[in-house]
Amino acid sequence: MKRRLLTVLALAILLPSVSILLAAGVGIYQHRQAIRVVARTYVQDLAESTASRVEMGWGLTESLFTAKPPSRFWGNRFFSQEVGIPGWIAVLDAQGRVVMSTPGAQILSELWRPQMPIGQAVEARNRAGEAFTVAAYPAGDTGLFVMAAVSWKELLGPMLRFGLLLLLLVGLVGMAGLVGVYLLWKTVISPLKSLEAEISSLEWGKDLPRPRDEAAVTEIGRLREEFFHLAQTAIDRSILWKRYALDLVRVQEEERARLARELHDGPLQDVTAMIQRARLFAASGVAEPGRSVHLGLLEEAAQAAVREIRALCDELSPPWLELGLSGALTELAERLSRHLGLRILVEADSGIGEGLSREKVLALFRVAQEAIHNSWRHGGAREVFIRLFMEEGSLVLELEDRGNGFDLPADLARLRLQGHRGLANMEERMALVGGELVIQSRPGQGTRVTARVPVP
Amino acid sequence: MAIRVFIADDHPMTRAGLVAALKREPDFEIVGEASDGIEAWRIIGTTVPDVALIDIRMPGEDGVGLARRVKESGLPVSTLMLTSYDAQQYVMASLRAGAKGYLLKTASPEELAKAIRTVAKGGIYLDSEVSRVFEGQEIVPETLSNREREVLILTSKGLSSKETAARLFISERTVQTHLASVYDKLGARNKTEAMLLALKYGVMTLEELLE
Repeated sequence: MKRRLLTVLALAILLPSVSILLAAGVGIYQHRQAIRVVARTYVQDLAESTASRVEMGWGLTESLFTAKPPSRFWGNRFFSQEVGIPGWIAVLDAQGRVVMSTPGAQILSELWRPQMPIGQAVEARNRAGEAFTVAAYPAGDTGLFVMAAVSWKELLGPMLRFGLLLLLLVGLVGMAGLVGVYLLWKTVISPLKSLEAEISSLEWGKDLPRPRDEAAVTEIGRLREEFFHLAQTAIDRSILWKRYALDLVRVQEEERARLARELHDGPLQDVTAMIQRARLFAASGVAEPGRSVHLGLLEEAAQAAVREIRALCDELSPPWLELGLSGALTELAERLSRHLGLRILVEADSGIGEGLSREKVLALFRVAQEAIHNSWRHGGAREVFIRLFMEEGSLVLELEDRGNGFDLPADLARLRLQGHRGLANMEERMALVGGELVIQSRPGQGTRVTARVPVP
Repeated sequence: MAIRVFIADDHPMTRAGLVAALKREPDFEIVGEASDGIEAWRIIGTTVPDVALIDIRMPGEDGVGLARRVKESGLPVSTLMLTSYDAQQYVMASLRAGAKGYLLKTASPEELAKAIRTVAKGGIYLDSEVSRVFEGQEIVPETLSNREREVLILTSKGLSSKETAARLFISERTVQTHLASVYDKLGARNKTEAMLLALKYGVMTLEELLE
């Protein structure tokens, strides 16, 4: 019922219409047949009775031959008094000439056929093609004939017209119903269907549906507009969210860089100066032999502080990033390969990435950092290959391992929802500098991370 | 004859510490001090010291840029880089820029004096804490073949395997094979170590690197 609404509606209109048409058609046909029988009997009787009267009472009198029959001719009286059926009677001689007739009976001479059977009603047509039932009967041995006829048009006319009109009206109602169903389909069902299809395939926060559907009824049009606004809002929100995330990354990096700079220029230099002074003091030989042990301990503690501050700086934002992309990646690779026990190869053409902005160097550096850690932690890789090259006006950083690989989700944002921020972070960092990130991986096939930034 | 020394460091306390350490040595003469790269370049130009101690991170112009400027000017000044950082790429960058040595600011006064004397005589000095690879490794390296030396020099200049291969008309794979052999002979784990060790053992000279 739900799925075949249109079929049900169409049938609900068509079935009654067709049955009315059929029933009425059959009724009209049967009625026609009945009238035909009545008309035959009637003209036959009329012709016969008139003929017997002509034979008995009137004979071949002079008056019958006059062109103008007496005004009280029985035929008139007969018609006007006894039946209302429109018809004609005429007395004809053997040659078919009208001897006597009711008014308008000239039509009978048109219907006269020489081979017309006597005493038997037949259907005939005049020159205009109108149908009549005609009967001829001999008036005894006078040599005259009586001919009687009724017109179908006159007899059945109104009946037939109204009957046909009824059929036409029923037909029209049926047609109107079907047009209604078609309009229902075109303006309601079809727009709803397409709206439903658009909703189900829409990527929320990315796609927009068509804003308007001209064919739809107003209500569905409004529904679509509302939906359009909702989708628009979702897109705005996702843009806002992305911007927010990027701002977070940017602010975080700025803050880290600032902290690292402060640490480098402040505490690191101060502690370094302390070490220098301690050494100078020790070298001056002023300290008592017993105290120099403490001096040594002081220096050791200060050296430890220097190392910790350096490590902290590296953790936050390594100052050696200023050496440029190639140098920074080489340093990173060598440090990580020592710490993680990995073999990391960096292949970079000379001079590549020179003049690249600090933001882009940092973004690519973070991607590399994350990717190497992923290869080691998740991929179980023993080797990582890093390549830096130019391609179509973009600088490309490619990291490849032959580790375990993994099934890549279609949407990295989904990983973030599951608490795995790494890949999404890498993507965001590239987006931040107008670049893009592509990750290719399959279980057992290793992983390849490709970061691409446009170079001006 | 005294070694004329110039010091550029933006941190006043470290600078004062360095000056104090140098003053203890009778054969050193401090000819100038600067707290940023631009001022440093001006003073180097006017005083032309034998050795310029240059902090890598400085406002104005950084130390690596300044070292390159000195080398390109052709002045008879040996630059010795000073830093608080133990990143080996700083060493690479400094040496490629023409610096003769690299020293951590936390180095002892004796080490500092030794470094200055070394570079003043035209040698190279690399801080042992930065180049940790040197520690306890007094091996005599196997001799490198000519091809291996060529590959090592080009790689040290910052060329990729592909570029090195193109330069020497050999395949990339061959370059990598040579490199692996160089690492093996020098006891290095990566390009940077190979270069530093090659300089240390005299397998490669600074001039070859800068050619």
